[in-house]
Amino acid sequence: MPGIVGPDEVRRVAGPALELSGVDGVEVLFLHEWGGLTRFASNAIHQSTWREDTGFRVRVVAGGRIGVAGTNDFSPEGARKAAESAREMASVVAPDPQFPGLAPPDPLEDDSGFDEATSLTTPERRAAGVADLVVSCPDGFTAAGAYETMASEVAVANTEGQFCWAPSTQASITTVVTGGESGSGFAEVFASSVDEIDPAGLGRRAADKATASRAPRDLDPGRYPVVLEASAVATLTGFLAWIGFGGRVLAEGRSCLSGKEGQEVAAETVTIYDDARDPGTLGIPFDFEGVPRRRVELIDRGVFRGGVYDLRTAKQTGAAVTGHALPPPNPEGPFPLNLFMATGDATLEEMIAATDRGLLVTRFHYSNVVHPVESTITGMTRDGTFLIERGEVAYPVKNFRFTQSILEALRDTTMIGSESELASEFFFSASRVPPLKIESFNFSGRSDH
Amino acid sequence: MLDVAKQVVEAAKAAGAGYADGRVVSDESESITVRNQEMEGIDRTSSLGVGVRVLVDGYWGFAATARLEPAELERTARLAVEIARAASRLPMEPIRLAEVEPATGTWQSPMQEDPFNVPLEEKVALLMEATRRMQAVDGLAFAEGGIDLYRRRTWLATSEGTAVDQTTVHSGAGIEGTALGDGELQRRSFPNSFRGHIAAAGWEHIQKLGLIEEAERTATEAVELLRAPECPSEVTTLVLDSGQVELQIHESIGHPVELDRVLGMEESYAGSSFVRPEDRGRLRYASDLVSITADASLPGGLGSFGWDDEGVPAQTIPIIVDGIFQDFISSRETASRLGLPSSGAMRADGWQNLPLIRMTNISIEPREGTLADIIGDTKDGVFMSTNTSWSIDDHRVNFQFGCEIAWRIEDGRLTQMYRNPNYTGITTEFWGSCDAVGGREDWTLWGTPNCGKGQPGQTARVGHGAAPARFRDVQLGVRG
Repeated sequence: MPGIVGPDEVRRVAGPALELSGVDGVEVLFLHEWGGLTRFASNAIHQSTWREDTGFRVRVVAGGRIGVAGTNDFSPEGARKAAESAREMASVVAPDPQFPGLAPPDPLEDDSGFDEATSLTTPERRAAGVADLVVSCPDGFTAAGAYETMASEVAVANTEGQFCWAPSTQASITTVVTGGESGSGFAEVFASSVDEIDPAGLGRRAADKATASRAPRDLDPGRYPVVLEASAVATLTGFLAWIGFGGRVLAEGRSCLSGKEGQEVAAETVTIYDDARDPGTLGIPFDFEGVPRRRVELIDRGVFRGGVYDLRTAKQTGAAVTGHALPPPNPEGPFPLNLFMATGDATLEEMIAATDRGLLVTRFHYSNVVHPVESTITGMTRDGTFLIERGEVAYPVKNFRFTQSILEALRDTTMIGSESELASEFFFSASRVPPLKIESFNFSGRSDH
Repeated sequence: MLDVAKQVVEAAKAAGAGYADGRVVSDESESITVRNQEMEGIDRTSSLGVGVRVLVDGYWGFAATARLEPAELERTARLAVEIARAASRLPMEPIRLAEVEPATGTWQSPMQEDPFNVPLEEKVALLMEATRRMQAVDGLAFAEGGIDLYRRRTWLATSEGTAVDQTTVHSGAGIEGTALGDGELQRRSFPNSFRGHIAAAGWEHIQKLGLIEEAERTATEAVELLRAPECPSEVTTLVLDSGQVELQIHESIGHPVELDRVLGMEESYAGSSFVRPEDRGRLRYASDLVSITADASLPGGLGSFGWDDEGVPAQTIPIIVDGIFQDFISSRETASRLGLPSSGAMRADGWQNLPLIRMTNISIEPREGTLADIIGDTKDGVFMSTNTSWSIDDHRVNFQFGCEIAWRIEDGRLTQMYRNPNYTGITTEFWGSCDAVGGREDWTLWGTPNCGKGQPGQTARVGHGAAPARFRDVQLGVRG
């Protein structure tokens, strides 16, 4: 079975790239990933995979000109060829006046996020977990989903003397349970260790939701107070990461938060930060250009404090680098991958009890940007949407389309959950967020189920 | 490399597989991005590896590795068999594969000039000049241009005797201008949004796009949009250009007719479909004017190939004929469940992933007239161009799309420009309201390079031939 390559072997194999002649600097990003995913539908395992890949992305600097080449040929010869290819590309382009230099030495080796048992998870163990999940569903309901156990290893080395290395593991299950008359429920879990996963409990949670959401009724779209469960809140934070918090979109005036540093942009109870080193998330302690990741307060008690920065945008703006570079060449700029929303003091039940007439939303589906500067996105509800009347869940309703400004929703937030979950969004990495009660949310259309 | 594919198949059979296929895939890509005449990024990638898929007692297993030495091939094949055996823990009707004749041969997508052999300086110079012309327009904040090139060579062997070797080269380029001001961000793209127009072709495709010639107009429209009023909220007649019809087909016809989605196999991720197996030949999906065809043999299409990743030859499948739904796109497994032959739509994103049902080239059949004819024939309505945003529900029923730009149509003429246009609808109602589809003159075979599906996530490049079209009584102008 494959295992960790290790920092010494990475140094040895990357060596010929770092020794490339005729250039001013070289950076080698090493990526190694292995693991399996057991996918199920209709209570059966229909797709089950395992894969391993190892490779480099080599960035070469010559006279301020940059070239990048990637390969999955993990050998000294592969590293050398990639570096030469990057040098060739650098030779034909104009110098980058904003190039900030490569990351300075600040060595970091950290294997605290790696769980060997998770990296060695067998297909039998995943299949057994899926079986436990399926058995937990009541008669008339079927489960679909994916149980994944992955290990990865990231290292960055450069000719400035920087070397960082960190292996990590991740175990996750997402499931949708369906049955009855259009009943549908969802649950997910992410952890760094497979031992923290409870497939049967997850199946029961999704099945309970599916049972409760049977026979949904029609309800007119419009503005409603809403209680968003954590998975739905993760859609808001995930899109805010994309259109709001990156140092580049902020500096260029393309962010919904551009020019709003120090201004109140959300309710004073709302705090959002990014912290890859917090044990409550699944992060690596340095970014993809080898800068240690820092905790960044993005929105602090409703006030926007600033965004995240890589070396280039920090140089451009004068801000401090925060360690949020994506892999090169990365024209999108820096990005927060480990968002948190601070918890409040309410339970989900208390939020429902405090709602006279509104909606309870389990999750959103296939959302996209409508107006980036206004932070407006659209998407659908999915897998359990309910009408709340007089402080109680009254009945399930058919799915709605929403078209809503994220910042406006955060301004209208009146209650925040006391417990948070690591929750995913369709396109983005998982955020750790609590449920929210928002006083006005725009549901602009509806579907037939 | 075909020998490597055969070796991994033999290893899988020796380990107990009843059926096995091995795919060795070599991927190369090159991407260049220029912004305001400065390099944003230039990079090349290469990847080589093998994936082996097995059936053991009617259950699937798949494993993939980048290491091609014999011992690793054997280990990977044994692991695929182990995975398949583990799947049998949950009993189900054993998988059967629809029959297919074993195929042998080679295939290559058409190309006049290999884009990977064109000097980098020439590619960079094209983007520099296009962005220079865009920057000359007062008020433009960002002028961007990009070129994307892909070459994939696949060697496929199966335990049934298929042994094929095929190569596709995809080339694309585009420009985008961004204007900023007064809380607005407006973009115009050419020839299409999201990195332009990509096709199964060589450098000659990029040379014909006209990036330099269209740079000034593209930038000018982006700046003009800042001053344009918002697209009104109303129910009216909507005319779409072929680029937007492309994505409308993709999301509301292409995905819903994938048979794996219909059978619930994608339920937990992107969802299922409102279309059911019994809808073949019965469901009124669209108006009489709408006929949709899946054609994996269209020259230039991103969804064209000699054989799919199960060795099924490229086919032409009627999806909708005169508004009535006819057939799904399928795999050998899913087609056999309906007692049908495979439509040949299985493709994998590289060696690392198992094949899934992916759109080939799903196109609307052209009818009559040009875009100008359709606008000229419209008394009152709105014309929208170039997609910016898409969203559709988990059954592919309720959708909402945004476009870059719109104009009022009054008495057959374009008048007022609008910014931030969008529209929403219900799939069959919307297609049922289609009362004009343009002819061959304005029909374009577009490429969608970023179609996501599956777990682990895969990205496919698919094709859509589209003509401008008109739809009645559509809700426009959805606001937050």
